[in-house]
Amino acid sequence: MILRIIVRRLFFLVFVLFGLSVITFGLSHIIPADPARLMAGPRASKETVDLLREKYGFNDPLLTQYVRYVGDVVRLDFGDSTSSRRSVNEDLRQYLPATIELALAAFMLSVVVGIPLGVLSAVNPNSIWDLIGRLVSITGLAMPSFWLALMLQFAFFAKLGWLPDGQRLPIGVDAPRQITSLYSIDALLAGNLSLFWTVIKHLLMPSVVLAYGSLAVVTRMVRSGMLEVLSQDYVRTARAKGLRQRTVVIRHALKNALLPTITVLGLQVGLLLSGAVLVEIVFSWPGIGRYAVQGVQQFDYNAIMGTTLVIAFVYVIMNLVVDVLYVVVDPRISYA
Amino acid sequence: MSIDETHAKPSTVARTAPAENALAAAAHRRNQLEDVTWRTRLRAFNRRFFRGQPLNVLGVVIVLGFLVLVAIGQPLAEARGSLYAPNTPNIQDKLLGPSSKHWFGTDDLGRDIFSRVISGAKYSLGVAVVILAIAVTLGTVLGAIAGYFGGMVDELLMRLTDMFLAFPALILAIAISATLGPNLRNAVIALSTVFWPWYARLVRGQVLAIKSRDFIEAARSVGVPGGRLLYRHIMPSAISVIVIQMTLDVGYAILATSSLSFIGLGAQPPTPEWGAMISSARAYFREAWWYITFPGLALTITVLGFNLLGDGLRDYFDPRSASK
Repeated sequence: MILRIIVRRLFFLVFVLFGLSVITFGLSHIIPADPARLMAGPRASKETVDLLREKYGFNDPLLTQYVRYVGDVVRLDFGDSTSSRRSVNEDLRQYLPATIELALAAFMLSVVVGIPLGVLSAVNPNSIWDLIGRLVSITGLAMPSFWLALMLQFAFFAKLGWLPDGQRLPIGVDAPRQITSLYSIDALLAGNLSLFWTVIKHLLMPSVVLAYGSLAVVTRMVRSGMLEVLSQDYVRTARAKGLRQRTVVIRHALKNALLPTITVLGLQVGLLLSGAVLVEIVFSWPGIGRYAVQGVQQFDYNAIMGTTLVIAFVYVIMNLVVDVLYVVVDPRISYA
Repeated sequence: MSIDETHAKPSTVARTAPAENALAAAAHRRNQLEDVTWRTRLRAFNRRFFRGQPLNVLGVVIVLGFLVLVAIGQPLAEARGSLYAPNTPNIQDKLLGPSSKHWFGTDDLGRDIFSRVISGAKYSLGVAVVILAIAVTLGTVLGAIAGYFGGMVDELLMRLTDMFLAFPALILAIAISATLGPNLRNAVIALSTVFWPWYARLVRGQVLAIKSRDFIEAARSVGVPGGRLLYRHIMPSAISVIVIQMTLDVGYAILATSSLSFIGLGAQPPTPEWGAMISSARAYFREAWWYITFPGLALTITVLGFNLLGDGLRDYFDPRSASK
């Protein structure tokens, strides 16, 4: 059963990836009036432009260009970045771990804070928890993350001086020996606690800002799920037979209320990756989001399209994982 | 109209006056009745939408306030005198804190931030309205076609929709507007491209649900042609869902536009668009907290207002979702 779903979704995945490639190809090869001119920059001579046009085959028929493009992408070759003068692939490999670390930290925050907050807010209506829960879920979706980032930076860096204003590590401090490329884990693996603490201090503000939006979504989902489940007969039965409040809430109610949340959580991973773009700029976080935006500012199309493809790919995969997970967790659902 | 004619024709000259009187009375009664139902409806709406729903009230107040700013924000800013003109630099007054003279302080070029914030409202709304108009039109047409005709057409259109939905919206919007070039018009195009698939999916679902109802079957059996059936009979029932979604999306469209502007892709300086203002305020965040704070507050409150209004409307029209 599950296998059938996976196969079905994989077929769709192929289709989506084909669509992705058409869109990114269209964006980088068709829409710019002259991609070679853009690559060379505004001051380049006509000869340089012609040379580039020849080198990258912009004179070939579109279909030939497309096939070549897909061939490159399948081999994970996104071309050269015009700003870093390296292959986009190399750049992405350097910047991706920073984004993953940031997104993972934000994801953990929104789960670890969001689920209890949603539960507390549903179980104790009109309490202080309910108030906080509602406040978070309302403001989280309305507040621009880049603004929240700047405000926190002003408060905790400029005024209080408690936290650094950005970057993964202070200048002059060496990164821990690369094992996972996630500094926090690498520092722990190296047994260097003070370095770990420094890494966490740098990670704190960006991940809180990034988490805030999905925290709102998670809190909201858990809260409404819990409210619905708590009013059902089997919860009353559980209470009637004398189970403790904690057992009823966690074992009986939360388990069922979490089902819809799982879907949302999976989608959040993809959204966190793309939301990271805005947060990374403010905190000078050396991840792929900042890389893409620098690409935007320097008309570096290969960088933009490479990043777009990578993020979209993760997003699609996460959707697949969510679908499968959903069937595994809830036996009532079948897509087949 | 047609009823009036059939009644009027057989009447002779002598009977004309009383017949007309009767008709006029009937029309008057009808108007009164409509008036009453309209009023009772409004009253019922007031009761259920506002009473005991402080968040709905807040949403409406914010949205109304925002609309007032859209209408008179810029003239108001200009009417305050040349010192307060939203776009005229005034270097000797740069980066002044909030005071009775400059309520929100001044920016790095000495422009009054309050004037700029209230002038900025119209950009946010204008952009959001255009984005949604394009997205809703495109999405509604494609969604209605897919839902009404079904089969291969449906399959094709929905897979196309899924493909667009497979992209994280912000990333796709960045890629598109980066390719087209950094200005507000291209940001609008990019964001419309991102928003339409949601409407296509929504409208398709609505059309599918309404298509199987009895009154559609009845209309079809008396020979109403397909296009008219879709346009006059099915779509009116789907409208409320679209409107609710639009209200929710106004906030997101405003937020997305300002995000693009913040990156440098949407509105360009000196346009007093809120995202662009925050972007230029970034360099001064240590010494001038007011410069970042007020445009961001305006943005947050506006988006909050539309979200609350949208949530309230959804709960009102679809009580099943009220628990959320």
